[in-house]
Amino acid sequence: MLLSLGNVTSYYGKTPILKDIGFDLPEGQCLCVLGRNGVGKTTLLRTIMGLTDRSNGEIRISGEAIGQAPTYKRAKYGLGYIPQGRQILPYFTVKENILLGTFARTDGKEEVPELCLSLFPYLAQNLHRKAGLLSGGQQQQLAIARALATNPRILLLDEPTEGIQPNIVAEIGQTLGRLNKEFGITLILTEQHIKVARKLGDAFLMMENGRIVARGPIGEMTDDLINRHMTI
Amino acid sequence: MPHIEFASVVNALILGLSIASIWLIAAIGLTIIYGTVGVINMAHGEFLMLGAYTSYVLQSFFGLPFLLCLPASFIVVAAIGLVIERGLIRYLYNRPLDTLLATWGVSLVLMQGVRILFGSDPKYVSVPEIFQSNVEFGFVSLSVFRIFVFGFTAAVVAGTVYLFYRTRFGMQVRAVMQNKEMAASFGINADRVYMTTFAIGAGLAGMAGCLFGVLAIVLPTMGTAYVVQAFLVVVVGGGTLVGSVAASGLTGELQSIFAMLSNDTFARFLLYVLIVVFLRFRPRGLFAVAKARR
Repeated sequence: MLLSLGNVTSYYGKTPILKDIGFDLPEGQCLCVLGRNGVGKTTLLRTIMGLTDRSNGEIRISGEAIGQAPTYKRAKYGLGYIPQGRQILPYFTVKENILLGTFARTDGKEEVPELCLSLFPYLAQNLHRKAGLLSGGQQQQLAIARALATNPRILLLDEPTEGIQPNIVAEIGQTLGRLNKEFGITLILTEQHIKVARKLGDAFLMMENGRIVARGPIGEMTDDLINRHMTI
Repeated sequence: MPHIEFASVVNALILGLSIASIWLIAAIGLTIIYGTVGVINMAHGEFLMLGAYTSYVLQSFFGLPFLLCLPASFIVVAAIGLVIERGLIRYLYNRPLDTLLATWGVSLVLMQGVRILFGSDPKYVSVPEIFQSNVEFGFVSLSVFRIFVFGFTAAVVAGTVYLFYRTRFGMQVRAVMQNKEMAASFGINADRVYMTTFAIGAGLAGMAGCLFGVLAIVLPTMGTAYVVQAFLVVVVGGGTLVGSVAASGLTGELQSIFAMLSNDTFARFLLYVLIVVFLRFRPRGLFAVAKARR
């Protein structure tokens, strides 16, 4: 298994947000994490990255326990993180934002990877533009490029299509599909767009109140499940 | 309106540059520590003082030449800064008031410690003979040492700009300043960045102290004489490198011109009044630090 979580409970302060989370993710899969707002999807990704206040349980990458490692060390295990709201560094140029990803590499490469430039021609043509001046869709491309610069085995994407124009949503969906199918990068994706999840996902986790309430291959994600756990 | 000669104005402007370079070298370590780590270091004056004492000890007891005392002061005070950061400051990040009090406490400890070790009588740092001569510079006669301070400050600023804007280390620092969490998510150890930056800031103060040991006498209380100017430069500049360069240039020149029109004491009074008025309208200074620190 590439990533395994066992009995993970995660806290902000003294409040547990995730409770007893466990799943195994094989290499090359795309796992969609679904659920209403506030059920713990973002916290799940932040827990894997080590960004919550405290967590118990086991997190393993290729069998190696990383659950107690600080965030900067986890990044070096091949976790590429694309947070909610993108969080690109606005005062950095496009190039500097991408280069930020290279600090997590373990192969010593310090250049902008060719893959980032070929996937996102706009970024390639605007490497010296301040990132804060990019549109939402371009910033999302930059966030993906920055995560790719880490040479990731797993990409953690937190609502990558949130707040993006519909035509760009399809484009981002396509890019993620290529990264997963063509380049073999494993994806964990939190999504509100069911269409995107169905198109990209191999498997799903449905969350409610910080727990996993349903799981299975994406084909088993029925309308009934969606109605029960995602509609307000 | 008093009659002002052209020569006097040029004289004042050149002196202003010299004052600016002294204020800037005093402020640069403080700028780095405040701008990147976010700590208002009340012990900055004592870091300057430690640099002066380091030079005095190395020169008097080990016969080290002055030009080697400069890097030695950097190393010694950076090491002391590192110990203080690891032992105290790192537990107080994001608690500005506690940091303020703690660093003030550190300043008192350092001052008293030096007084116990070396006594209260003044010490001196000497320079090679060439630095003791004067040169005619247009209409003004300046000591070679003051010109050296100016050139040294320019080199330190250039080196610092290079370090923070042209190296991978600098990129790490700037990333942590903007978003500590994101920097960590991409493999940057923010703790180490803070530690290194604090030590560099302390080391730069130590080097400045070595120069001030020549410009004035070395005393346990000497830091307080420079730290006020250093804080003014940082506050007016907004905590950025470019801000500190601009602020020191502006305040140094104003001080010099006001002094030409009146006297030193009144010039300083007028300058402080202007700074207070300036801060009333622009409290974040000339060039504010990117306020995305998390």
